[in-house]
Amino acid sequence: MGQAYSTIAFDPAKCDGCGKCMTACASVKFDSTDTTRSLIQIVRSGGARIEPPRPGEFELALCRQCADPKCVTVCPAGALGKNGATGVIDWDASKCVDCLLCTIGCTYAGIALDEHSGRVSKCDTCEGKPACVPACPTGALRHVTTARIYNEVGSWEDLFAPGLAGCQGCNTELLMRHALRRVGPDTVLATPPGCVPGMGSVGFNGTTGTKVPVFHPLLTNTAAMLAGVKRQYERVGRKVTAMAIAGDGGASDVGFQSLSGAAERGERILFMVVDNEGYMNTGMQRSSCTPYGAWTSTTPVGEHTRGKSQDAKNLPMIMINHRCEYVATASTAYMEDLYEKLDKALAASERGFAYLHVYSPCTTGWRFQSALNIEVARKAVESNFVTLWEYTPESGLHFTRPVDKPLPVTDYLEAMGRFRHLSPEQVEHIQKKVTENLRFVRKIAEQADEQ
Amino acid sequence: MNTTTTEAAAPAVAERTPQLMLVEGNEAAALGVALARPDMVAVYPITPQTSLVEKLAKLIADGSMDADIVDAEGEHSVLSVLQGSALAGGRTYTATCGPGLAFMFEPYFRTSGMRLPMVMTIVTRDGITPQSVWGGHQDAMTVREAGWIQLYCETVQEVLDTTVMAFRLAEHHDVMLPVNVCLDGNYLSYGASRVEMPDQAEVDDFMGRKDVNWHVALDPLRPMAVDPLTGGSGGTGPETFVRYRRGQCAGMKNALRVITELHEDWARRFGDSHRFAPLVEEYRLDDAEYAIMTLGSMTGAAKDAVDEARAAGEKVGLIKIKTFSPFPVEALKHALRDVRALGVVDRSVNFRWNCGPMFQETLGVLYRLGRQVPAQSFIGGLAGADLTVATFHRVIAETRALLERPADDEPVWLNAKD
Repeated sequence: MGQAYSTIAFDPAKCDGCGKCMTACASVKFDSTDTTRSLIQIVRSGGARIEPPRPGEFELALCRQCADPKCVTVCPAGALGKNGATGVIDWDASKCVDCLLCTIGCTYAGIALDEHSGRVSKCDTCEGKPACVPACPTGALRHVTTARIYNEVGSWEDLFAPGLAGCQGCNTELLMRHALRRVGPDTVLATPPGCVPGMGSVGFNGTTGTKVPVFHPLLTNTAAMLAGVKRQYERVGRKVTAMAIAGDGGASDVGFQSLSGAAERGERILFMVVDNEGYMNTGMQRSSCTPYGAWTSTTPVGEHTRGKSQDAKNLPMIMINHRCEYVATASTAYMEDLYEKLDKALAASERGFAYLHVYSPCTTGWRFQSALNIEVARKAVESNFVTLWEYTPESGLHFTRPVDKPLPVTDYLEAMGRFRHLSPEQVEHIQKKVTENLRFVRKIAEQADEQ
Repeated sequence: MNTTTTEAAAPAVAERTPQLMLVEGNEAAALGVALARPDMVAVYPITPQTSLVEKLAKLIADGSMDADIVDAEGEHSVLSVLQGSALAGGRTYTATCGPGLAFMFEPYFRTSGMRLPMVMTIVTRDGITPQSVWGGHQDAMTVREAGWIQLYCETVQEVLDTTVMAFRLAEHHDVMLPVNVCLDGNYLSYGASRVEMPDQAEVDDFMGRKDVNWHVALDPLRPMAVDPLTGGSGGTGPETFVRYRRGQCAGMKNALRVITELHEDWARRFGDSHRFAPLVEEYRLDDAEYAIMTLGSMTGAAKDAVDEARAAGEKVGLIKIKTFSPFPVEALKHALRDVRALGVVDRSVNFRWNCGPMFQETLGVLYRLGRQVPAQSFIGGLAGADLTVATFHRVIAETRALLERPADDEPVWLNAKD
């Protein structure tokens, strides 16, 4: 398996050309206020002439740290080379003959002549902590470090067998594989009835899809059964992780009593809920996590009803009130965030109840093309339809991906078929609830900040 | 110092003086549990079981019992916690009754299917509704198709002894099934009686090595998928399901033999005051023309009535069922071989047949025996009603009448206002 690297990503739609990234770069790299020396250059697109400039009219001149770097190919002196460990194209000043062929070879204007020194200069990503990214006020620049997951996790054993029978484009299978890789083989895994065992994780007639001990609890007793497993191993002094991958229905509806009881008792369990907002494995029936207005097979659209007529239960907020050792929400679109939370949840599950609520869109039940799963998941976060945060009893609730300029909720709703029938009044209701929910979570986060 | 003299003063073998105690049935059950040394006890209080789990909690709090105790949020989780513990290798115990048993039915049915050895006392309580908190066998009888072994006790001593034996029975490799020890709510649960405490060291020897999850486990050192899907109409699905079900029935059948062996071993170790009929007790039955059948604590009053009737010249005997599930067909065939009329007293109702459950099961035994014996169902002691010696004199008289006339299809409702 090859190596993957972190990268600086640019979203032109968000860039307003303020130039703060260039100021930061010039300052850090050359202790200068001269932004022409910056190794990152924001330039206005050739055709745009209307003043003042608008977002979307700027382009980026920056070294892409290419996998197939043309600058390296054209360098006659061997002064440029791809660093296998960091992925950065390193420039060796002692070998460089100042021919400038590289500046012609690069189509991104990623390496250029620095007139102050008379030599070429290029971005070295500030040893993995690029100064330009935090300087960007609009979020147009992001340091994408997902490569860490690929590099580290890729070497860990996948504890599920190939060929689990999830629907095409299902993120839950991806989530399961990632989560178990992280949690590791000294685990007892509970997968209550739903999509997760429906894929074959527990198995059928003598075959199984999982390499760790796995079982079907009842839909109703996952947390209690795991508590028994964990306590017995603690009694005999063995370290075993007791983990659940449960659906939202089994957690929020019929399994809630068992979940609540185990959380209240502080059972040392890692309880991960995969929230696809309904009973999707059995044909998309409503659960208490199904959002208002959504079509499901038990909240159909007809003359008298227009999808679900109640708002979703906010299960992770309820879990906070159990004073769990750790509670967090996550999304399959933000794997780095998920991994950080998984690490914390795993550690917390040795001290008490750890609850991880992962939003995972359902291509089949929500009615969108399977290729769009990550996009739908991301829009849910970007519109504040769901919020990503974590909670501990010591430091309270903190947003991990706050969204300052949210998309209108219609951007999210229109991405899928289950909301196709919504009336303007229903959309208005949803937008209002999104605002209310956000205000509510923010209030709790503010309390934590005051402490 | 003359060591020889000292040695001579001590007996060669210490005389075992049994520890005598006055305890209620619930306390006796708790003491039996402690003797069996479970790893985990999960509890949720419910009348009339409550004093039993309170006693266990105290034993554990005082350090005189080394077990983990889980105060779960309901009976459903109680049994589920124990299933997890058993799958990880723990010896497990709980107690419940009535509505609590109804609430735990979902995991209850599953315990036998997973072949998890486990002991649960049912401090029997009548079914609601009509609302009641009093004794009756309706709870235990209602779940009799769930694959658990059910043993009914007559006395407080039998409660204590049977509780210990139940653990070994459950874990026996030929059985591997969960066991209910049924003790009558009110009459046994709160009835104080003299008991002899078995010696812990001897009990340890009787119990042998704990062996709970050799056949099914959730253990990273032995990874397996527990309870994957079976059944359906294709592939090996149907036969897999059937194999499991037949295994449960085989375990049940084996239990009849193992229960008998364990009772014999127990009585041999601890003496005649610890000797109980394992399956069916035949009381003054040898030359009896007719017999009455009983279950649980009512048997004491029934035996007194039989003794008095015998003294008056009646040729009546008594058959007590101890092992209700698996139903002791062969032992009961033996008891019924010469009986010419039969009265069966149930403390619960079989709604389908308009009779008592034990009565209806016994009809099946008579069929196997190939005998047409006039038999009458009596239903009494519901919701805590007392079954007195006088009650059993009525039962004896009405059963005796069957020697002269056919039985009535209607049950006789004892404790009823006609």
